[in-house]
Amino acid sequence: MISGYFITIFITIVIYAMLAHSLNIITGHAGQISLGHAAFFGIGAYTSAMLYSEAGFPFWISVPMAAAVAGIVGALLGIPCLRVRDDFLAITTMGINFVVEAIFLYIPFFGGAMGIGGINLPKWFGREMTKPEYFVLILVVFLLLLLLDRRMGRSWIGLAWASIREDEEAAGAMGVDVVRFKVLAFILGSAIAGLAGGFYAHFLTFIMPQNFGFGQSIVILSMVVFGGIGSRWGPIVGAVILGILPEVSRPIMEYRILIYGILLLGMMRFQPGGLLGPESILSKLFRRSVFRPGARGESQ
Amino acid sequence: MTLLDVRALSKEFGGLRALDGVSFTSGEGEILGIIGPNGAGKTTLFNLISGIYPPSAGEMSFQGKSILRLKPHQVSRLGIGRTFQIVRPFQNLDVETNVLVAYGHRFYPSLWKSAGPVRQPQFLKEVQMLIQRAGLQSYTKHTAKILPLGFKKRLEIARALALRPRLLLLDEPSAGLRFEESAQLMELIRQVRDQGIGILLIEHNMQVVMDLCKRIVVLDHGAKIAEGSPEEIRSNSLVIQAYLGKET
Amino acid sequence: MLWQQLANGIAIGSVYALISLGLTMVYGVLRILHVAHAGIYALGAYVGLLSFRLIGNFWLSLITGMAGAAIAGYMVERFLYTPLLHLPRIAPLIVSIGLFTALEEAFRIVAGPHTLAYNARVGLGDLSIGSFHLTETQILILFVTFAILTFLWTFLTKTRTGLAMRACAQDPETTSSFGVNVGGIIAVNFLIGSAMAGAAGVLIGVYDNQVWPTMGSIPAYKALAIVVLGGLGNIPGTVLASIVVGLAETFFIGVLAIPFPRDAVAFVAMIIVLMFRPYGLLGKA
Repeated sequence: MISGYFITIFITIVIYAMLAHSLNIITGHAGQISLGHAAFFGIGAYTSAMLYSEAGFPFWISVPMAAAVAGIVGALLGIPCLRVRDDFLAITTMGINFVVEAIFLYIPFFGGAMGIGGINLPKWFGREMTKPEYFVLILVVFLLLLLLDRRMGRSWIGLAWASIREDEEAAGAMGVDVVRFKVLAFILGSAIAGLAGGFYAHFLTFIMPQNFGFGQSIVILSMVVFGGIGSRWGPIVGAVILGILPEVSRPIMEYRILIYGILLLGMMRFQPGGLLGPESILSKLFRRSVFRPGARGESQ
Repeated sequence: MTLLDVRALSKEFGGLRALDGVSFTSGEGEILGIIGPNGAGKTTLFNLISGIYPPSAGEMSFQGKSILRLKPHQVSRLGIGRTFQIVRPFQNLDVETNVLVAYGHRFYPSLWKSAGPVRQPQFLKEVQMLIQRAGLQSYTKHTAKILPLGFKKRLEIARALALRPRLLLLDEPSAGLRFEESAQLMELIRQVRDQGIGILLIEHNMQVVMDLCKRIVVLDHGAKIAEGSPEEIRSNSLVIQAYLGKET
Repeated sequence: MLWQQLANGIAIGSVYALISLGLTMVYGVLRILHVAHAGIYALGAYVGLLSFRLIGNFWLSLITGMAGAAIAGYMVERFLYTPLLHLPRIAPLIVSIGLFTALEEAFRIVAGPHTLAYNARVGLGDLSIGSFHLTETQILILFVTFAILTFLWTFLTKTRTGLAMRACAQDPETTSSFGVNVGGIIAVNFLIGSAMAGAAGVLIGVYDNQVWPTMGSIPAYKALAIVVLGGLGNIPGTVLASIVVGLAETFFIGVLAIPFPRDAVAFVAMIIVLMFRPYGLLGKA
């Protein structure tokens, strides 16, 4: 039997993979900078936590609601945000992260600095799920999300996103409603992050505002950057590697944040495409893993 | 039939008058030349028509309807396509995909339709026809980035044609091209006109302009200083003045 | 009472100006959001503290803090930003964020996670006129910031290099075609901006009597909000916005006693202003 410790790591990695994947949708597919992604993670976690512990809704409702609420907030924030320029968007998303964390921290309704506790694993067949079962559940959901992503990649939406990423202005001149598709990416990315938040809350059984601040956004960003912004598997690989490393090595755990910082620094300076990006060393060896719409010869 | 009607169109950029009260019309199946010295406001005119920014004053209507406050994607969906002065295909996408982006304009307005798969045989067939018309069939799967300039320009035209436009705005298509490339491109443009599509052509190459256009509008410092046939323009003293004056 | 709050607000606002100016100047010439600038600010505080521990003189520690920050800022520009200018702007931004994160951790690892005291004294003593009261450190802040800002203003308006810097911020290409060494101007930008941030770090360290690894976190957000509020790249705008935020924070919390996180004021102000003036108070398209 796989020990509880490993299951915990696996579950954490799947959640991070979901987060990295969702950020990749915003940053990679639509070419938009979001530096406050943990805010949506937090919104999902708190929504799920409060629906469960305050209103008594079961997991099977609280978690989808988490995704919905995060998606709605993403839409509300996305629409004004995406009308502004690149740099403004970066700052605004940082600001959103900051404000959301402050709301969770200062407004008593959300439990303040102590957060919310008493959130349990879901029940099914009349009993509480075991951790391995929970792992399978979220893994299946994640795989479904990947399938959805693949389907979207092959649709006109995916094409529109690719064109926006290449050249926004030209895309507009070719009939692509740029703002609308950017908002769509934003909504999707936030909703999935919210979903991850719901899964996180029920797994950790208690949540605190600090889990959802700028630091967490950096962690998620590091995974995406490390793996390769915009590549299909990159962020997931990034999440797996960066998720496992601190667990297997004490020193790495100690200096985790420092490593993330240096990673971001180093990757962008020397390998901006990430581990699985188009120009990377790894990618030149493993051509088939790179997601590049329209570049035939590369599989999708 | 008149396609485009521009009236007293003006554009100011914080005190700089880029376009000053320009008026003209353009119809189907005609190539209207827009010429003038550098900085005359020609590209500004295109940017106004295609909705990249709004005019400071004046009106423009397409097929009788005002296009004044429209965004670029709305303008292109109405049937106005354009190419850019500094060519900008989607560099990392291949030729076929480039054209598909514009072809998708019929799906984008609906989220449901946009979720449909792109690479369907009938779409690919129609796109392939456009690619062939532009003479790019051997480059269908090539990344736009690696195409030589002349082919990039053809790609831009094929892309714009995927919009099923009634009016095409071409911004200095022959710039940077060698003589033969330019001649081939001009042939393509003639074919497009022969299909009944109206064309506005910004050009610096006088030979090309005189060859292709039956009517020419001349801009200088944002204002229209002359309009007429190539012969009339050639002998217009104001026009000569504008160009000579610039060379001093 | 009002004068007191006014003085408090201006004092804090002027320190914000010292930090934010470097940020806006960098944006002006490189169009990069220099998030790591807040790390330079904290570095200034640490270096200043170190030299104060060794030498015991406030002014010298101020100068070394500024110098340390200036050198660090220069190295960031030379080795991290300039080589990446050909990439989309998200790249240097992410590098900057990574550097900032790494810096804060480095402070924690090298100097320890606890707050360190920085109790420099100049021997001035506090100023009290009736109920109006200025502490010695507040006086120092007002004096130093006034001196630095005056120097900056003189430099930008009266010297050739300053003129070149302003021209660069408007249009680097044209400026370089006039024979100006744009690379050198960018370096000067970073040196001055970082030195000012270092000064701010020392001043705040002394004012709070605290230096700690994450002291740059709040200024990181705040300076960004201030810079956007004033108009990215716009120097007078940034000064104006800094004072506005300083006063707003003081008045909202001090006078109106609204239970609102003090540090969120800058962001709220930014959002409000952006709704009416999308490019900031004094910014242009």
